[in-house]
Amino acid sequence: MTTPLEAAEPVAAQAAGPGDDRPTGRGTLQYALSKAGGALFSIAMVIIGTFFVFRLLPGDPVRNLAQGRNMTPAQLDLERRRLGLDKPLVDQFFDFVGDTLRLDLGTSYEYKRPVLDLIGERIGPTLLLTGTGLIIAVSLGIWQGTRAGWRFGSRFDRFSTGASLVLWSVPTFWLGLLLMMVFGVGIGPIPGLFPFRGIESVDAPDGFAYILDVASHMVLPCLTLVAVVYAQYLLVMRSSLLEEVSQDYVTVARAKGLRDDEVRRRHAVPNALLPTVTLVFMRIGFVVGGAVTVETIYTWPGLGQLFYEAVRVPDFTLMQGTFLLITVAVVVMNTLADVVYHVLDPRVRSA
Amino acid sequence: MRKWLARLAALGVALLVAGQGTTAALAQDPSAGKKTMRVGATQAMDSMNPFLAVRLVSTSIHRWMYGFLTVPDSKTLQPSPDLAESWTTSEDGLTWTFKIRAAKWSDGKPITAEDAAWTFNKMMTDEAAKTANGPAVENFESVTASGQDLTIKLKAPQASMLENPVPIMPKHVWESVTDMANYDAEKYPSVSSGPYFAIEHKKDQYVKLQANPNYWRGKPKIDELQVIFYDNPQAAIAGLKNGDIDLIGRLQPPEFQAIQNDPNIEAWNTQGRRASYLQINHGATTTDDKPVGDGHPALKDVKVRQALHYAIDKQKLVDEVQNGLAKPADGSIVPPMYTDFFWEATGDTKVTYDPAKANKILDDAGYKKGADGVRTMPDGGRKLEFRFSIHTDTPIEDKLAEYLTGFFKEIGITLTTKKLDSSKFSEETGVTGLFDIAISGWSVNPDPEEVMATHLCSRRPAPGGEGGGTESFFCDETFEKLYQEQLKELDRPKRAEILKQMQERLYTQAPIIAIYYPNDLEGYRKDRITSITPIPEAKGLLYGGSGYWPFYTVDVKATATGGGASGGGSNTGLIVGVVGGVVVVGLAAFLLTRRRKSTADERE
Repeated sequence: MTTPLEAAEPVAAQAAGPGDDRPTGRGTLQYALSKAGGALFSIAMVIIGTFFVFRLLPGDPVRNLAQGRNMTPAQLDLERRRLGLDKPLVDQFFDFVGDTLRLDLGTSYEYKRPVLDLIGERIGPTLLLTGTGLIIAVSLGIWQGTRAGWRFGSRFDRFSTGASLVLWSVPTFWLGLLLMMVFGVGIGPIPGLFPFRGIESVDAPDGFAYILDVASHMVLPCLTLVAVVYAQYLLVMRSSLLEEVSQDYVTVARAKGLRDDEVRRRHAVPNALLPTVTLVFMRIGFVVGGAVTVETIYTWPGLGQLFYEAVRVPDFTLMQGTFLLITVAVVVMNTLADVVYHVLDPRVRSA
Repeated sequence: MRKWLARLAALGVALLVAGQGTTAALAQDPSAGKKTMRVGATQAMDSMNPFLAVRLVSTSIHRWMYGFLTVPDSKTLQPSPDLAESWTTSEDGLTWTFKIRAAKWSDGKPITAEDAAWTFNKMMTDEAAKTANGPAVENFESVTASGQDLTIKLKAPQASMLENPVPIMPKHVWESVTDMANYDAEKYPSVSSGPYFAIEHKKDQYVKLQANPNYWRGKPKIDELQVIFYDNPQAAIAGLKNGDIDLIGRLQPPEFQAIQNDPNIEAWNTQGRRASYLQINHGATTTDDKPVGDGHPALKDVKVRQALHYAIDKQKLVDEVQNGLAKPADGSIVPPMYTDFFWEATGDTKVTYDPAKANKILDDAGYKKGADGVRTMPDGGRKLEFRFSIHTDTPIEDKLAEYLTGFFKEIGITLTTKKLDSSKFSEETGVTGLFDIAISGWSVNPDPEEVMATHLCSRRPAPGGEGGGTESFFCDETFEKLYQEQLKELDRPKRAEILKQMQERLYTQAPIIAIYYPNDLEGYRKDRITSITPIPEAKGLLYGGSGYWPFYTVDVKATATGGGASGGGSNTGLIVGVVGGVVVVGLAAFLLTRRRKSTADERE
C-alpha cells in the first residue's frame, strides 16, 4: 500500500524502468556541481544586489532611526559611525561583502542585537509553522488533486477544485481574522477553541503539556496557511494527472487488466508527481521566509513577523539580513529542485 | 487506504489527548491562587535598556519598573516625591539638591544618591546613553552625590527640573556595562526600584514583571504583571473579548466601538493626553535660516493660514472622522485634561468654523479666484493647490484628508493627498520640508515644556540639513522669549500663565492648527479587574497615563484553583478534543463509505 506521498521515492526507479539509462553517479554529480556553481554565482549576485538595493532605498537610515526624535548632530554622527555609514561607498561595499561571507549580518538598529542572533531565534518557530503547513498542504493537495484528476468532472472534482480556488483567492488576512473570530473567540454560544496569539501560553506548562500547548497554538495559523496555499498543489497535481491519463502507457496498463486503483497508484500518479515535487522544492525556499501575513495576524514569533517589524520601523540592517537569508534559501532550494528533478525525470537528463 | 484511515484515527486520538492534555495542564496550573494581571499591547518592546528604549510601550514598562526623582501626583499630576524625598533650589535656580529616599533596590541593596549621580553622569559622558533621554541632561553642568544628597548644577535655570524623565538605574548592576549602545539589559531578574521588576522577556511575545517586595510605597496588590504583545489590534481586541488579556489601551474609535457592548468589558472613555493638529509649511528653514524644502509660497502668509483655520469644521471632524470620540480643539497643543496648562481661545481670538470669513480674508489679501474657482497668488502666478501629507495605512487620516479637501474647496483651495510611509513621512515633514500641510500629533506629558520646545528655532535641522526635532519649523521671536521666561519661572501658576501665552502665539500665528483632542480609549475586563485607579484619580487614564499609578493600585481576582472560573478556559481543551475527535471520526466514516463505493465500482 503506497500512499501518493511515499510514491515520491520509488518514482525514479519506476519512471526510468529497467534497461533505461539510469543516471550514473558521475552524471548526476557533474550536473549537481554545475548547478551548484550557478547557484553560487546567483548568491554572489544576490549579495551584491542586496547591498545596492538597500542603499538605493529612499531615506537616510540614521534619520529614520531618529524618527522625529530630537537628536543632536553629534548623536547622529555617532549613529552613523556605529553603522559604518561615514565611510566611502566602496569601503562600505567591501565591508558588507566581507561581513556577509563571515556570516556577520550586522546589528539591528531597532533591537541593538546581531541580526543573525535574531534570525536564529525566529527560524525555529517559522520552520515549525510553515514546515507543518507545507506538509499538510502538499499531502492534502496531492491527495485531493489525484482524486479530482482521476475522476475529472465528478462532483468531488468540481467541489474540491472550486473550494480550493475560493480559498486561494480569499485574502489571507481576512481569512485569518475570520478563523480567529470563529475558532478563537467563538461565535454566539460556541466558545473559542484555540488560542490565537503567539507560539505558547504566557504561563506555558513544562514537559509534554508544553508540546500540546504549542500544538494548540499552531492550529489556527497552520489552518490559515494550508487553506490559502494548498490549491496550487491540488491544481498542479490534478492537471498533470489529467495529462498522464491520456498517455498510451495508461491505456496499456488498463488493457493489461490492472485494477483502476492500481493503474492510478502505480503508473499514473508517480509520473504525474514530478511537477508537484518541483513545486514543493521551490516552495521550501519561501517557507524559510515565513508567512508574513499569517505570522502577523497570529503574532507568531517567526521570520515573517521579524521582517514585518523590520519594514515597519524601518530597520535597514534587519530588512537586509532577512532579505538575504530568504533569497539565498530560495536559490539553494531551486538548485536542489533542479538536481532532484534531474534524478527523477530522465527527460530532463537527455535535454 | 486503510493506512490513511489509521492515520486519521491516530490524529483524532492525538487531538483528543491534546484536548485532555490542556485540560490537565490547566487544572495543575502552577499559577493557581496567584494574582496575575495581563495587559495587551499592540507595539512590542524595542529594548529592555532604559537608556536606549524609545517606544511608548517600553517607556511605560520602564515607568512601572524604575523609580524617578519625582512622579506626577496621582490627583493633581504635579511633581511629587518618588526616589527624591524632598528637594531645594538655590536662589539663582542653578543648583538643585535632592534628598534620595532611604529605600532598597529589588535585590535588597540600599538606594543612594550615588545611583542617581551615576545615571546622569553616564548620560552626560556616553553618547549612546543619551539615545532615549538625551535632552533631559543637556542643561546639566555637573551632578554629584554625597550620601543621600544628590546635587545637580545647571548651565541655565530650568523650571521643568522636577519633571525629569530619566529612570534612576542601580549603579552596582550597570557600571560594568561598557558598550551601552549594544547592551540590551536582558538579565533577569532585573534590579529596579519601582513597583515591579522584570523576570522574563520573550521578544515580541511578552514581558513578565513581578511585584517588588522592597518597593518603598509597599508591595503592589497583585503578584505578577504581564505585558502581552499583539501584532495586530484585531487580535488584541479578540484577546480581550476572550479573556486572554485583562486590559488594553490606546484603542482607535472603531476598535473601541467593538468592545462597547460586551457585558464583561468596561469600555473606558476619557479625555486624552493627545492633540491632533495640522502642521503647515510656512517656510521651513534650518537653524542658520536657510530655506529648505518646497512648501507652497502662499502658506508663508499668516492670513492664508488663518483662512485655512476658519475653513475647518472641527465639530464635523470629531463627529465623522473620530466617531464623536474626541473634543474639537479651541486651543493649541496642550489638551484640556491638563487643566493647569490648558489654554483656550476666547473672544476675538477664537476661530470658529466660518467659510465666509475665510473667503473674505483671502479676497482681501488678494488671492483672487480663477475661472475654475481655484484661487491664485496675488501676482496671478501659482494656484493655491496644496499637498496634504498623511501616513499610508491609517484609514482615519484618509478620512480626514477627504473632509479637509471638501472644506478647503469651499474657499477656493485645492488639496491633494500625499501618502507616505512613516520614515519618509517624518523625514519630509520634520527635516527636509518637502510638504505643504501634514497631519501631526503629540502625546503631551504633565509638563508641556518638551512639546513647546519642539517649536523652538533651535529644533530646526542643523545647517547640514539634519538633526533637530522640530514639529513645525517654527521660529518666532516672541515664542522664544516666552520659552526662556518660563524656564526661569519657578512659581508654578506664573509659569503656567507664560506657557498659555506660548500656546496663544501658536494659535494666532498658525504654524500648526489644532483640530481635535482625541479621547483616551481603553477597555478592561470587569470580571477580572476588581479595582484600578486611573491617573489623575478623578477620571483619568489607565494604560495611557503618565505614571505607574493605575498599575500600582490595580487589584485582580486570583487565578482560581482547578480552573473553571475564568472565561471557560479549562473547558476549551475538552471541547477542542471532542470537536477534533468528532470531525476526524466523521471524516473517517465519510472516506470509508466512499472507499466501499469505489471498490464496488471497480468490482463491476
